[in-house]
Amino acid sequence: MIMINNKESRVDIKNKVIDYYQKQHKKDVFVPGSSRINYAGRVFDEKEIVNAVEASLDFWLTEGHFSEEFSDKIADFLGIDNVLLTNSGSSANLLALSALTSEKLGNKRLKPGDEVISVAAGFPSTVTPILQLDLTPVFIDVNIPDYNVNIEMMKNAINEKTRCIFLAHTLGNPYKIDDVMELAVKNNLWIIEDNCDAFGSEYKGQKTGTFAHLSTISFYPAHHITTGEGGAVCTNDPTLARIVRSFRDWGRDCYCSGGENNTCGKRFSQQFGNLPYGFDHKYVYSELGYNLKMTDIQAAIGAAQMDKLPFFCEKRKQNFKAWLNIFSKYPDYFTTPKATEHSDPAWFAFIVSLKENAPFTRDQLTVFLNDHLIETRNLFAGNITKQPAFINKRWRIADHLNNTDYIMNNTFFLGTYPGLTSDMFDYAENVIDNFLNKIK
Amino acid sequence: MLAKKYLSEVVSVSSSLKNIYTVEFRSLGRTYKFVPGQFLHLALDDRYDGIGQWPESRCFSMQSNPGEEQIRITYSAKGRFTKEMEKVLQVGTKLWLKLPYGELFSKVLPRNKVVFIAGGTGITPFLSLFSDSSFEDYKDVSIYLGFRSKEHNIYEKELKSCNIVSKEVNYFYENENGLIDIDSIYNDHGIEFQYIISGPPQMITFFKDRLLINGVHKNNIITDDWE
Repeated sequence: MIMINNKESRVDIKNKVIDYYQKQHKKDVFVPGSSRINYAGRVFDEKEIVNAVEASLDFWLTEGHFSEEFSDKIADFLGIDNVLLTNSGSSANLLALSALTSEKLGNKRLKPGDEVISVAAGFPSTVTPILQLDLTPVFIDVNIPDYNVNIEMMKNAINEKTRCIFLAHTLGNPYKIDDVMELAVKNNLWIIEDNCDAFGSEYKGQKTGTFAHLSTISFYPAHHITTGEGGAVCTNDPTLARIVRSFRDWGRDCYCSGGENNTCGKRFSQQFGNLPYGFDHKYVYSELGYNLKMTDIQAAIGAAQMDKLPFFCEKRKQNFKAWLNIFSKYPDYFTTPKATEHSDPAWFAFIVSLKENAPFTRDQLTVFLNDHLIETRNLFAGNITKQPAFINKRWRIADHLNNTDYIMNNTFFLGTYPGLTSDMFDYAENVIDNFLNKIK
Repeated sequence: MLAKKYLSEVVSVSSSLKNIYTVEFRSLGRTYKFVPGQFLHLALDDRYDGIGQWPESRCFSMQSNPGEEQIRITYSAKGRFTKEMEKVLQVGTKLWLKLPYGELFSKVLPRNKVVFIAGGTGITPFLSLFSDSSFEDYKDVSIYLGFRSKEHNIYEKELKSCNIVSKEVNYFYENENGLIDIDSIYNDHGIEFQYIISGPPQMITFFKDRLLINGVHKNNIITDDWE
């Protein structure tokens, strides 16, 4: 038997992984009527698997060099100083809002009962942290067809209790960031951009997720890039970055990375709380934190995915246009989505609403599409105030949620993920034409 | 800004005093990012490739300001690690830096009525501020700088280029006008001022104790000291 050193073993394993990828994950041919058209799906090649195996061979497991590489790539892509990886986009939202409750922020911190502006037509994890932190969500209605917050209603909703604006760029479509920022500055409010569905979108030439005090990203497989489970919090504010990291890492005050000690040079010479002077800084907890870190294996996959992100974003825009061409044929039945002025969305999905006089229901159409293996989704929670978990909780509706209710009953979305092909769109167009021809 | 690793190269080494070296680095990758008053970790392990556990390192204040492309530090070769630096750090040497660390001037609030006191190489974190545009925000400032002799003030050229012309600067040379007198400084400023002290550990401890005894609140005494 020939002895080979570790480096050669790695090369050997890498080559076998590439070979395995070619054999196992070779792209399936789309067969109309028997292949599914999913609303989302992971798109990858051998590089993601090679990286994941590399990280497994390293067996560093916790935040390591792949985490550094991944967060650096995100920081460079967005042009932002601090990127903190976490185990999901929902955790990112929880961390971002939790950070604003830190006593390190003095009088600016959020306190129980403070109001946080959001919308009810969205995904729950934008709203649940507000309630979990004993804050009060204030729901503003959204516009159709951009599905983002109604700015005029938001202006009217702000009162002396309002302290924060926490909004998602709905399905990748940026909200009117200028208007929201102006309101926030005028009223001295914190802003969190939930950028989970909009990683790569732009507003006035600037990437979303770079405007607010804090922003969040999701790497769940449905999103623009994936690490399986995963997310990130981004900020240019060094104080907020340290607080987020503390909340993510058990609440600890020390910021040494794994394996490091005393990078501050004051490990045993500081006073914290009622602890004895010089108590080991490594075990000082200044926040009621969590453990929401990402593993290096996940980050290794993310680092490879980041190289594909610009292509993924372009493909999502193309796929959006393909759906738009199909649904624009039927202006009497459908309200098609519209990008916010001055924005360039990397669409998470193609959202469409039935017009009031459409001679069929949303569910009739989506059941038909799903029966023909074309996957659809509602706009997440519909009107979140009507969800079981949100009944009898402390929230406030500003004026009304008429459009939100309309969306709950008449709106759905289709995928724009980069795995969609022109064959799929041809098939989907036929299916939709057939459905509408029957109606006629 | 969370700390990042930077593969760097030594671009200059100068020494106008025995065992005291000023070294400039340039990043071979991303641009350095930090704010005045912060410090870096410097590693000498030539086997380290930026991956895995950060090797043995030492802290050094950055005396260049964030607007400069290169980072400048000054060190005294007197311990095992710094004597190794004396041997290794030559023009062209590649090494890893990790930065930024520390929050010295972020604790200075508000930015008026501030006394800066530095002894010897303790001036380095101040230089990064004095030469930075953010120093214009500081009002009613007094500066006290102590050196063993004029020859030991190797920062004179840098100080001349700093934005401290309009501030009150007092030089103390041990062999001429004696040591910095903390009680005298306190008498001139009182408890209203914030005192920022950087220098040898014994100096910091003594000055801090005197100010506390005189009634200055502990939050108004900011020190740049490491273990």
